[in-house]
Amino acid sequence: MKIKILERTDRELEFELEGEGHTLCNLLRKVLLEDEDVTFAGYRIEHPLIGKPKVYVRTNGEKDPLEAVIEAAKKIKKMAEEFREAFLNSLKGSHYE
Amino acid sequence: MNIRILEKDENSIKFILEDVDVAFTNSLRRIILAEVPTMAIDDVIIIENSSPLFDEIIAHRLGLIPLKTDLDAYVLPEKCECGGEGCANCQVALTLEVEATDGPMTVYSGHLKSQDPKIVPVSEKIPIVKLAKGQKLVLEAYARLGQGKEHAKWQPVSVAAYKYLPIINLDYEKCDQCGACVEACPREILELKNGELVIGDVFNCNLCKSCEEACDLEAIKISFDDRTFIFTIEGTGVLPPERILEEAVKILAEKADQLIEEMEKVKGT
Repeated sequence: MKIKILERTDRELEFELEGEGHTLCNLLRKVLLEDEDVTFAGYRIEHPLIGKPKVYVRTNGEKDPLEAVIEAAKKIKKMAEEFREAFLNSLKGSHYE
Repeated sequence: MNIRILEKDENSIKFILEDVDVAFTNSLRRIILAEVPTMAIDDVIIIENSSPLFDEIIAHRLGLIPLKTDLDAYVLPEKCECGGEGCANCQVALTLEVEATDGPMTVYSGHLKSQDPKIVPVSEKIPIVKLAKGQKLVLEAYARLGQGKEHAKWQPVSVAAYKYLPIINLDYEKCDQCGACVEACPREILELKNGELVIGDVFNCNLCKSCEEACDLEAIKISFDDRTFIFTIEGTGVLPPERILEEAVKILAEKADQLIEEMEKVKGT
């Protein structure tokens, strides 16, 4: 994963996520939009085969958009861990172990 | 987040995933298809080939043979210390030497001899080529870990899919037990039992709404829960399905970690 910052102000952030695609960007977008301070979040892949996704985040000014992205990434990590635990528990609880 | 396992066997798993959104479920599905590494033959050195098939066709057929994968013992070549040149940590050699001495014969995946007894074809009965009497095939093949996004031969699954949990609503007061919806349902979920409409296996519903169309009285309504999913995985046998899922969430967590790390770097500037 390589990040290139295209634009950064106190309430706007646009960056390129080289080496990623819809897999991460769509989830990131969704989680960002759940943040109350984020007023807009979206991404765009200009070419389906060779495009690098460009992610755009705008906040209401209460929060640094970069901080919002970090928080979102932490939430994604938490979701992944939650899934892992729930899955292992369900395996244990069933007769499938 | 809650998970209930509906079915599980050696190669496949079906479970209900509750209280998550589509974005997460789809990320998981995409990672399983494109990013969970598996073993497959990638380099083939043909030493002798007098079979009716061209070298490249044989190489392609060898590539598509699913190999049992040991993710703890091997690393992706691009992450390997050798820099991707090929060493014992990222590569396995398999050899094949078959000659049809007593008449026509078929070369099967079981004829492949692996350097590592753990990395063997999932099935021994996958045909590679048919040889006539006197024809010979000698080759050396190198298997390595790879990802589905590079070539489909590295996909650990043949199916990884999810659907929303169907909800079938029946209005018993409106229903006149005409049986039109029973006829219309392609999955045969509905049934008329002793003059009463009975709903069978809801999980089998494909949300086609044929029953809704067939009902003139609007007594049946199909909807779905968009935070609950029925997730199905059918592995190819290279990895157990529970391992595929575990690897997938691990990859997702790694992605999040990388993003945090990169962003922290930018933050400092």
